[in-house]
Amino acid sequence: MRLHEYEALDIFEQNRIPVPRRGVAETVDDAIRIAGEIGYPVVLKAQVLVGGRGLAGGIKSVSNPDELEYAAEKLFSSEIKGLTVRKILVCEKVDIAKELYMGTTIDGYSGQPVILVSTEGGVLIEETAKSSPEKIAAIHIDPSFGYYPYQARTLLRRLGLEQQLITTWSDIIGQLYNISVRYEALIAEINPLVVMANGGLIAVDAVLEIDDSALSRIRLPLPDRIERIENPIERRGRQIGVTYVDLDGDIGLISSGAGLGMASMDIIGQKMRPANFLETGGGITADLLYKCMELVMMKPDLKAIFINVYGGINPIHEGAKGVVRYIQEHNVKIPIVAKALGNRQEETWEIFRSGGVHVVTEAATEKAIEKLYEIISGQRG
Amino acid sequence: MSILIDDTTRVIVQGITGRIGSVQTHWMLQYGTKVVGGVTPGKGGTTVEGVPVFDSVEEAVRETGANASVFFVPAAFVLDAFLETIEAGIKLIVVVPEHIPVRDVVKMRSFALERGVFALGPTTPGILVPGKGKMGIMPASLFAPGRVGIISRSGTLSYEFAGILSESKVGQSTVVGMGADPVVLRNLADILELFQEDEGTDAVIIVGEVGGEQEEKAAGFISRKMTKPVAAYIAGRYSPQGKRMGHAGAIVRGSSGTVQGKHEALRAAGVEVLESPIYVAQWAKKHKLK
Repeated sequence: MRLHEYEALDIFEQNRIPVPRRGVAETVDDAIRIAGEIGYPVVLKAQVLVGGRGLAGGIKSVSNPDELEYAAEKLFSSEIKGLTVRKILVCEKVDIAKELYMGTTIDGYSGQPVILVSTEGGVLIEETAKSSPEKIAAIHIDPSFGYYPYQARTLLRRLGLEQQLITTWSDIIGQLYNISVRYEALIAEINPLVVMANGGLIAVDAVLEIDDSALSRIRLPLPDRIERIENPIERRGRQIGVTYVDLDGDIGLISSGAGLGMASMDIIGQKMRPANFLETGGGITADLLYKCMELVMMKPDLKAIFINVYGGINPIHEGAKGVVRYIQEHNVKIPIVAKALGNRQEETWEIFRSGGVHVVTEAATEKAIEKLYEIISGQRG
Repeated sequence: MSILIDDTTRVIVQGITGRIGSVQTHWMLQYGTKVVGGVTPGKGGTTVEGVPVFDSVEEAVRETGANASVFFVPAAFVLDAFLETIEAGIKLIVVVPEHIPVRDVVKMRSFALERGVFALGPTTPGILVPGKGKMGIMPASLFAPGRVGIISRSGTLSYEFAGILSESKVGQSTVVGMGADPVVLRNLADILELFQEDEGTDAVIIVGEVGGEQEEKAAGFISRKMTKPVAAYIAGRYSPQGKRMGHAGAIVRGSSGTVQGKHEALRAAGVEVLESPIYVAQWAKKHKLK
């Protein structure tokens, strides 16, 4: 779960990281009031959970109430990369002498937490990693020993910084690392960390992404995970315990595995366009697949549905019962093609066929999607 | 021949009394796996599918001579059970469950590497040696004995590849699920090394997906050490940026973890990149694999 910038800034502030004066506005009037309290100039930042917000026009600097009113109205009535702006963070504008980068994540390959710092802040760290890797310093944290402050000092010395900056910055690194541990973060990042004209440091942005698998054991106040999902079908998917990702095609997809689902999308995409990605995970029941059908059918103008399931950990014959029940109760007319292999496959095929589902018994998903394509093309002709 | 599982492998099932643990014990036994015991703290003295259940791993090892373990333990208890299993001297562990906190996996991986334990997962279908035995949840009907190794980040896609090969009369030496989490207990290159050394394996298929850098790092190992033919398929070319595609590790972040980046790295290492799973049959034919 990724937190909004304003939520992450609150957490950073509670953990003694310096952050700008700010307030969250839900209306233009709110924004004018908050800016009046902070004092102009202020920066307006659209609170949407998407990267590249600045380049997409989601950040505006304003120096008086008129400018603010115009900019805030524009932000509230626009979409940033397809997302509606519901909240604007109104922030004190800080004097920037220099922009730094710092972040901590779990390095998937070494399997260890890693702290990254760079003197090139304010830009995408991946771009810096490619164009000038020497400007990034990284240090891995041994999980059996944890983090010690000397590691931050060593890291910053490597960037050739002066002692005063090393002292103030290494404190903030320690705080950020502690936050990442307490909040079970996948990513905790400040970009940019600004060096002000007076030499002080301040976190002008805040990223905190929490490990979904750890949410139930974090004993700290956190916002609701499901409520913040923007897309209604994706939100409903999370409620019933499956992963649904909305796409812009017209072929619905239900798969019993993530890899299989992605491969099915790849193959559908050769001649048609997938409407969604849906992965059930290992908990298939008749009821769950009934709900998956409901979910996929929420999307208007579907041409067909493709079901791709394996009976390894999943009782696919149970799943088939749920699909057929949905078809019969809702009198579904669009063609449905199913490939179902593994434990109790013959029984599963019988159940699917009883509901008018086209069953493909070959192993390759290509064969099943070819069948689906033929059916649709036949209907057109 | 095979990797990881052979005639000397004696398996215990942790979480054997659970719904999934007991069903999967049935399938593993039916496939000929030597399942010698199970562990569920508090349920010692009972049996599941005729297999004795113990309260601790230490006791199970002492009474049965077990040397391998497969986990069907609820995610919240996996770290504890994993450390217990290593302390009890088990050298091969398969962690099937998903949704284990990443920071638990970090500790598990560190301890396993320190103690020289070979562990797979989390979120893995396990290991299957066709006609011999399996640890995990792979559905037996799709596999056939032969000389091609498969390593997959995805469970269901490993079945898909084995199924396509088996239909074209190409068998598998061993099929390994490496796990689908952002951190896995063993990296792709470590498993490739076992296949490179295995006399029973003539070629290897990597079934990858978007996210992380396992395939990119493995490319380095392949160009330095692999002499056997390697093919790879990477799932997820239509995955939107920043969306987690079902697996915790399957997420494209900015320009990293993309299908394109993985293809480039693998091609540069001499790997044959398969645009779609079905092409694996032609690849096997070209290399006269069986």
